[in-house]
Amino acid sequence: MFRSLQDDDHDLVTLIVNDQPVNARKGQSVWSAMAVASQVVTRKAALSGEERSAYCAMGVCFECMVEIDGLPNQQACLRRVADGMSVATQDITENSEATDEGL
Amino acid sequence: MKAFDCAIIGAGPAGMSAAIELAQAGADVVVLDRADRAGGQIYRSAADSPLPDAAHLGPDYAAGADLIIRFEQSGATHLAGADVWHLGDDGRILFSYQGETREVHCREMLLCPGAMERPMPIPGWTLPGVMTAGAAQVMLKSDAVVADGAVFAGSGPLLYLIVAQYLRLGVQVAALVDTTPRQHFFDAAPLMPRALQQLGNLRKGLSLLREIRASGVATYRYAENLEVIGDDRATGLRFSASGQQHEVSADTVFLHHGVQPNLNMSRAMGLAHHWNSTQMCWQVTVDAFGQSSVPHVSVGGDGAGIIGADGARAAGRVAAQNILFRLGRISQADRDQSVRADLNDLSALKPFRRFIDCLYRPTEALRLPRDAETQVCRCEEQSLGDLRKGFEQGARDPNALKSLTRCGMGPCQGRQCGHVVAGLLAQWRAESPEEVGYYRLRSPQRLLTLDELGRYGSVSAGAAE
Ligand SMILES: Cc1cc2nc3c(=O)[nH]c(=O)nc-3n(C[C@H](O)[C@H](O)[C@H](O)COP(=O)(O)OP(=O)(O)OC[C@H]3O[C@@H](n4cnc5c(N)ncnc54)[C@H](O)[C@@H]3O)c2cc1C
Ligand code: FES
Repeated sequence: MFRSLQDDDHDLVTLIVNDQPVNARKGQSVWSAMAVASQVVTRKAALSGEERSAYCAMGVCFECMVEIDGLPNQQACLRRVADGMSVATQDITENSEATDEGL
Repeated sequence: MKAFDCAIIGAGPAGMSAAIELAQAGADVVVLDRADRAGGQIYRSAADSPLPDAAHLGPDYAAGADLIIRFEQSGATHLAGADVWHLGDDGRILFSYQGETREVHCREMLLCPGAMERPMPIPGWTLPGVMTAGAAQVMLKSDAVVADGAVFAGSGPLLYLIVAQYLRLGVQVAALVDTTPRQHFFDAAPLMPRALQQLGNLRKGLSLLREIRASGVATYRYAENLEVIGDDRATGLRFSASGQQHEVSADTVFLHHGVQPNLNMSRAMGLAHHWNSTQMCWQVTVDAFGQSSVPHVSVGGDGAGIIGADGARAAGRVAAQNILFRLGRISQADRDQSVRADLNDLSALKPFRRFIDCLYRPTEALRLPRDAETQVCRCEEQSLGDLRKGFEQGARDPNALKSLTRCGMGPCQGRQCGHVVAGLLAQWRAESPEEVGYYRLRSPQRLLTLDELGRYGSVSAGAAE
């Protein structure tokens, strides 16, 4: 079980994680807000559909990819919470190959 | 667009130390880091910790605040939240910044991307609830979030550090499952006398272990055959120790067995790399000043081979002095004079490093998967069995295996499976990983959306935000 060691007198924001309102401290990562709210499933694996969750929390495993405000492939461990942000478990791993466009 | 004299990727101890030197000498320097605060891994949020009492994290962490403040006052441009995904040897750097694409140009480039944890492909490592010990460290430092009742498994100083930090903060720990084999203590013993020259570092390590032992937390030594239990969530860890089977229940399992350099940037640039057989990882090939096979590209800190935070600071300063020389701002004699003390310190660290590398060297049992079903490529869900099949169908090197099985093609671009795949192929071919090679990588080094690419801007020297 994840919990926060911070006191309660911090600026809070409210985000929606899989249709549930979740309170989080301003500046917190989306992943840790999900973890404290016991919403640990970030995505479904590409082939098997198995549930996955954040592994490294530092941006190198890409297991924490969620949909944020409708945009897929957002790394929850790198993104910060914002008031009214909508986060959803990512069902399909789209664009699993990085695009070369623009280069 | 005006080019910067130097662009540094990574605001950890290496990057910050380099930036301070360069800025002090009057160079136009920009530092890009995907984190929103400077500090890197060790000093993450050290200058503005969200913890009620950050002193529990130890004196090393506290010391970071001073470096961060000096860096922030140095005059270097710090682009926080800049995730770099393309480095060109023409001095062009592309990165994501607040949902937009940005570009800077520079004459000299210094990569200080640091390290990542070595993947640990044990059965069940893809289950939700399994994370790395570094992940616990990151969540603690940047968000003051901890997991109660977790089990910590593996080997190495960073594992003991986070356990000790949890205990000091009153966070309940289910167990420490130490996998350091008995044999490693015998192997490392002859290296101990010379390592004693770094008595301070050695004491720090020993006191962590003493602290954990004194806490009464269940500690298992010489553990083997690790396996995460659980169907769709981790529910515990199974292992054997001293000839007995054990099971520890926990909904969070933190794994760790050392760190390895972050390679994707230096690989995608096509810099020369070599296999480090002591640290069992690939590293970029650099000279004493951190200069790579492309002269205007230097690499410093853990990103150029694991040396720890003190080493990273020194390496950053050395690289900076060489860059000042290359920019024509100081003479060769001045450079050699300025780097002497740091080069001495770096060589003084070596015996200690050798001792640690030997004592905590990653075991094959944790480096390479054992069961055919264990996932190697987490993104494309390629198991040991799948890869073996690919090998038998004729894929002899990482790139051939990648085309055949899709391993390494997912969003992490081989960051997790690269070393495992090279290790497996080396085993199957009975050759060294050096022979086997590594994935060929290209930019961009992260997933991009067209939307993001559509919003484009550049950052000029002297006119940065
Ligand atoms: C998860 C983790 C936790 C650690 N914790 C400790 C600890 O508590 N104590 C300790 O002694 N050692 C710790 N280490 C070891 C650590 O590697 C060194 O002590 C030290 O931080 C190395 O310094 P560095 O400057 O080389 O790299 P780092 O401190 O790792 O800094 C590298 C920086 O580069 C940035 N970066 C990387 N790639 C990109 C990119 N593409 N775009 C933008 N920015 C990028 C990263 O965000 C990071 O801030 C940890 C390592 C890891 C992986
Ligand atoms: S948890 Fe690994 S990238 Fe976010």
